[in-house]
Amino acid sequence: MSGRSFGSLFMVASCAGAALGCYLVSLRVASERSALEDVEARIVLTQQDLRMLQTEIGTRGRLSQLERWNAGAFELSAPGANQFLQGSFELAKLTQPQHKVDFQAPVVLASAPAPEPQKAPIGEPATDESGAPAITPIGLLHQASLKTETREVPAKTAMATPLPAETKSTDRPVTAAKPAPVKSADKPGLAAAKSTPAKPAHAPASAALKPTQKKSVDKAVAAHSEPVTKRIQLAKTDPLAPLAEKHSGRPKDSPTGR
Amino acid sequence: MNAPTPALVAPRPERLRLVGQRRQMLAVIHQRLMFGMLVYAGIVALIALRILWLAAFGDHAGRKEELTALIPDRGDIVDRNGEPLARTIDAWTIAIHPKKVIGDKLALAHRLSVLMPERTEEQYFALLRSGKTFFYLRRRAAPELVEQVNAIGEPGLAIQREPDRLYPQTSLAAHVLGYTDIDGHGVAGIERAFDARLSDPATRGNPLVLSISSTVQQALEHELQDAMTTFSALGAAGVVMDVHTGEVLAMTSLPQINPNVPGDAPPDARFNRATQGVYELGSTFKPFTVAMAMDSGTIKSFGQQYNCPNVLPAYGQLVHDTHPFGRICTVAEIMEESSNIGTAQIADQLGTQRQKYWLGKMGFLGPVPIELKERGYALTPGSRWGPFETMTVGYGQGIAVAPLQLAMGYATLFDGGVYHPPTLLKIGPGHPLAPGKRVFSADTSYRMRSLLRLVVMKGTGRKADAPGYRVGGKTGTAQKIIDGRYSKTINITSFAGVFPMDDPRYVIVVMLDAPKATPETFGFTTAGWNVAPVVSRTISRIAPMLGVAPNLGREPDMSEVLPFVHDTKE
Repeated sequence: MSGRSFGSLFMVASCAGAALGCYLVSLRVASERSALEDVEARIVLTQQDLRMLQTEIGTRGRLSQLERWNAGAFELSAPGANQFLQGSFELAKLTQPQHKVDFQAPVVLASAPAPEPQKAPIGEPATDESGAPAITPIGLLHQASLKTETREVPAKTAMATPLPAETKSTDRPVTAAKPAPVKSADKPGLAAAKSTPAKPAHAPASAALKPTQKKSVDKAVAAHSEPVTKRIQLAKTDPLAPLAEKHSGRPKDSPTGR
Repeated sequence: MNAPTPALVAPRPERLRLVGQRRQMLAVIHQRLMFGMLVYAGIVALIALRILWLAAFGDHAGRKEELTALIPDRGDIVDRNGEPLARTIDAWTIAIHPKKVIGDKLALAHRLSVLMPERTEEQYFALLRSGKTFFYLRRRAAPELVEQVNAIGEPGLAIQREPDRLYPQTSLAAHVLGYTDIDGHGVAGIERAFDARLSDPATRGNPLVLSISSTVQQALEHELQDAMTTFSALGAAGVVMDVHTGEVLAMTSLPQINPNVPGDAPPDARFNRATQGVYELGSTFKPFTVAMAMDSGTIKSFGQQYNCPNVLPAYGQLVHDTHPFGRICTVAEIMEESSNIGTAQIADQLGTQRQKYWLGKMGFLGPVPIELKERGYALTPGSRWGPFETMTVGYGQGIAVAPLQLAMGYATLFDGGVYHPPTLLKIGPGHPLAPGKRVFSADTSYRMRSLLRLVVMKGTGRKADAPGYRVGGKTGTAQKIIDGRYSKTINITSFAGVFPMDDPRYVIVVMLDAPKATPETFGFTTAGWNVAPVVSRTISRIAPMLGVAPNLGREPDMSEVLPFVHDTKE
């Protein structure tokens, strides 16, 4: 009874509740929307500020002003046609050539005598022109491989070919050998890149050279301090006329070229 | 139990009438009540529905309608790279209501004269006592000044923000942009031509993109201004145009104006010499004559020979040359040395009808086809256009066109012979390329390249060469008409150049009005001495910006012309 009599009341209450709920939802939506609009308005205001600042910067840095500075203060002018490069290849061309020459010259010199001893014994019996050409190509091949190595690990190569020689003249080779491994190990790359490393570059390879030249001046016999190792075999056995010509020809060329 | 007497039962007739009336009245009252209630309920329901509707979908009270999008009061104008050339900003305006001033007017006048010294203290005081209701003191005031004026604290001072048109690059491309009046309506240039587009709320949100490139424009303006000062010229004009699309990359007219304060400019400076001014541009017309002759078959090769005496008598008149050959010369030589006598004969062979036909096709006989309202109209011999006039028109005298038209003609000639109307709007999605119209044959267009390159390599235009950029072109020196007569000493010099000539992409036309001789030009006032260097300097500045890489090893095919040039100089 009581429940049925309150039925209508419940209906009214639930309707009111639902309406209130709906209203609250819409209120929430409206407040969210207004917050969003506030943000939008702030964005627009900020954009306006940005626009103002951009305009101001643009006006202060206008092209005629820049032109005045360029022409007056910096004295800039349009680049000439020869200041443009077609690509990275042309750019690389601007820096390369000198270094190559630096490296090749000393290496050729230092190793030129080295192969001779090896072939000398073989060629000894012949010691003819026929023997000489046969030797030289092999020798050159060796030298080539030797040179590249000598730059980095000169000690090894020096060791490899003329083992017996070292024992004899320990003083000189040691000085030559000592700096070599250290420096070459330190900066093999640097030596390749810069021309200044001429010193370190020389050290390993031409360390042997310089002394030889100087000493050769001092003492006629000692002419082959670097070849010290090789001298014994080389100097006496092959003053090989043909060989000497060929080998000396190259080293002479390269230094002059340098 | 007594049966009621009929007399008792039956009401009296008047009473009966009364009851009927009351019932009727009741019914009416009920009806009215019901009606009133329905109306009331309806209104309430309407209000409730409206409230619900508003709650669900409506705007709320604090909504800021005008701030939801950044739409300027007038559309921006930007260059082809998006660099703003004209903008509307909110500027501070200082004004005064003299009647509302409550403080000491003398003291106020003193303060104002200190802050804004463009008027004296007396003038301010007179203004305050004038009784006028409103007076602008300063428009576009600096914020510091506004702050100081505000600090005076006088209620009669009105400080407010007003939309104001600002040209950030000041005088750059001023004749293209034009300017607006005090109400913000365009009165010149693009501002005038596109006034509706710039002020329409539907379209002003998007900036108007011009074909102008501000860097190219600056280079052209600077070099031209330099030349104008050096040679004390009265004026100058210049146009840089894209050969393939007809887009105008730069267009200038000197003396300059500052569109921020257009009122300061004299009327002469407001005149757009590039589109409004028409000039007899002289020898720059000669390539057209040769191209017409080639297309119509009267010239078969650049080796074709003409008799070039020192003076050519024709139709009762005499045609002169500045450097007469006095011998037989080839077409290549005629162009190289810019011979009037040779070109006159070519034009004579061509004939009046064909000349008119081609000039018409190139757009040289009508108004300058450009969006601006400041347009000139080409001047032609009109009804006097006889055989002698055909000759003079052939070498650029007796016909006056605007520099822009000349640029258009060169663009046509070197775009494979196809005409595209010049435009100041960037070609893009919103502004597609207008369909081209063939004027010259592609073969003629190709062969003309070497001819114009020859002029710059060996001929009168040598000073226009920019090494590596393969410039080709033609000088033009025309005597200026002063008081109806050709002046012997005062010239209009022009140069029309195209680069790079092995694959033409850009046209540059430069003109100087009445340049004077200087020691550097050895007393000459011809185009080769004053405008050609401008072209050279401008091209070496703008070509790298436009993506033309310099290449000293490239040239157009010169084998068409070089065999026909008799080299006497070397």
